[in-house]
Amino acid sequence: PSQQYDTWQHNQVVKANPYLSTAEIPRWLQVYSKAPQKFDNKLRWELFQVQELDCFSEMLTMLMKKELEQIVMSYESARQAIFAEVTSRKPEDEQNRFESNV
Amino acid sequence: SLTKQPDEVFDLLEKLGEGAYGCVFKAIYKEAGQVVAIKQVPVESDLQEIIKEIAIMQQCDSPYVVKYYGSYFKNTDLWIVMEYCGAGSVSDIIRLRRKTLTEDEVATILNDTLKGLEYLHFMRKIHRDVKAGNILLNTNGNSKLADFGVAGQLTDTMAKRNTVIGTPFWMAPEVIQEIGYDCVADIWSLGITAIEMAEGKPPYSDIHPMRAIFMIPQKPPPTFRDPEKWSETFINFVSQCLVKSPAQRATATTLLQQDFIKNAKPHSNLREMVQEAMEIKRRKLKNGSDSEEDDEEDGDDDVDVGTMVKVSVDHTDGAGTVKVNSLASSISGTMIQHDTDMGLGTMVINDDEEEDTGTMQWRGADTVVKNNDVERPAFMNYFDNVGSSSSESGSSGAPPGGAKKGLPAEEAWKFSKNITEMNFSFLKNLSVSELQIRLGALDPLMEKEIEDLRKRYFEKRQPILDAIDAKKKRQQNF
Ligand SMILES: Nc1ncnc2c1ncn2[C@@H]1O[C@H](COP(=O)(O)OP(=O)(O)OP(=O)(O)O)[C@@H](O)[C@H]1O
Ligand SMILES: [Mg+2]
Repeated sequence: PSQQYDTWQHNQVVKANPYLSTAEIPRWLQVYSKAPQKFDNKLRWELFQVQELDCFSEMLTMLMKKELEQIVMSYESARQAIFAEVTSRKPEDEQNRFESNV
Repeated sequence: SLTKQPDEVFDLLEKLGEGAYGCVFKAIYKEAGQVVAIKQVPVESDLQEIIKEIAIMQQCDSPYVVKYYGSYFKNTDLWIVMEYCGAGSVSDIIRLRRKTLTEDEVATILNDTLKGLEYLHFMRKIHRDVKAGNILLNTNGNSKLADFGVAGQLTDTMAKRNTVIGTPFWMAPEVIQEIGYDCVADIWSLGITAIEMAEGKPPYSDIHPMRAIFMIPQKPPPTFRDPEKWSETFINFVSQCLVKSPAQRATATTLLQQDFIKNAKPHSNLREMVQEAMEIKRRKLKNGSDSEEDDEEDGDDDVDVGTMVKVSVDHTDGAGTVKVNSLASSISGTMIQHDTDMGLGTMVINDDEEEDTGTMQWRGADTVVKNNDVERPAFMNYFDNVGSSSSESGSSGAPPGGAKKGLPAEEAWKFSKNITEMNFSFLKNLSVSELQIRLGALDPLMEKEIEDLRKRYFEKRQPILDAIDAKKKRQQNF
């Protein structure tokens, strides 16, 4: 299978996103992505080259995805917790809660 | 491609449908009286890539792939002229007849689709958007793959510009994870499409697409809801498509050797289905009712899952569990950078407003900045207010002083660094109906939060894109 994997990787038409690890993303850009917008004009993007700018744009996309994942997963755990609570109550329903509260 | 305006060359007839990137019309090529389909895609700029892709597509010549004739510009629209398939897409047929396909019908269609994929893959082309909506049928019951290439190209362009976030139900795990992929990504999508044809919608389509994105790489491959309804050869076929490891997944060529496909009936097997669908469409057209609206009425199976933009994340944990951990949290505090010399990689961060909520600190390698309100999802604000008359609070970060407000004890969802360790114990004190309300509130709240996230990144990206455009313009002028 590992040999299979190597061939698969070798044949890849679309390569892996180079920024899967945030370690590849400069820290200042990570800060920028979250800083209030009113300071954004302090950055002088024109000092970079087009290629670098393209990279920054891609990095931002990756940062957004990571934040997206965080958001979704936080809701996921809330969902699971509520769901578990509802199912655990199913038969006894309100009654139970009332009694335990008294 | 020609100097004439496209509307001089074509007579536009009725609208055939609408997808993520534009509308499709039936049209007549005046000179030859030939019926064609034209997809009109509104585009801003940066079309070279798309044009290149269309040029490649025009070279593709297979009876199993929709033929592309050419492309035109009309104002800000790109017109893509292609072969007209009179019976529409497989998903149209399902919707029109309000009936899913039988196993025999699926096999006949997949037989063609696999030949189309075999052809494209032989040319080392990935379709990237295989789904029932992109398998078109002509009146003889021949199936053809549509939207190959352009789809991916448009997706890339739009994703770069951060304009669309779409639905992932057909996407292979490796595509979502962005770990690199090849042609067999299409095979995964084909397996999903097989389930879609048999059940009317793809797996996970009844949960929020954003949740689905994270489920697909995380969970075992999807299967039929009701396996007893299907033959062993069909189930076997689908399970060979839906192998999570791309290296182990079957190819189009090997799948063509499967019993399920080898036993497929001829195109004539589809004639009845095609004619019925076309008859319904004709009737609807005559009644003057827009087919789209009609579909809306029959409600729940209207899976509006047209888009194909990737929203991806990486789950690096090989065990298949999503790890959500120490990654830098979202920053809602205020900060100012006194040092504009960003290029050097240094940045001094200071708290601007005197609020005591906003102390910024540098943390270890993978934590960026933190303040007190960080990691407090918007739904928490909402929960604070449940019961009180105030409406849900704004969700771009925590409200000012949110931490100070002092939550009711039972509402204090404690956050530790790891959101999976959130404390939900107060739920015990809520009634079932209160719990249900909270459950129902999750998706809309999540959507709002995602929308805010998207907006923020859109704005963050804009100056970069502007700088790129300015530089490119300047280069052209030299
Ligand atoms: N060549 C064609 N011949 C006949 N009908 C077509 C053709 N191409 C598209 N259509 C019709 O137009 C509809 C919309 O197509 P379109 O490709 O824009 O959207 P989609 O396939 O549903 O989603 P996506 O944007 O992801 O491709 C299809 O469902 C089909 O009914
Ligand atoms: Mg399509």
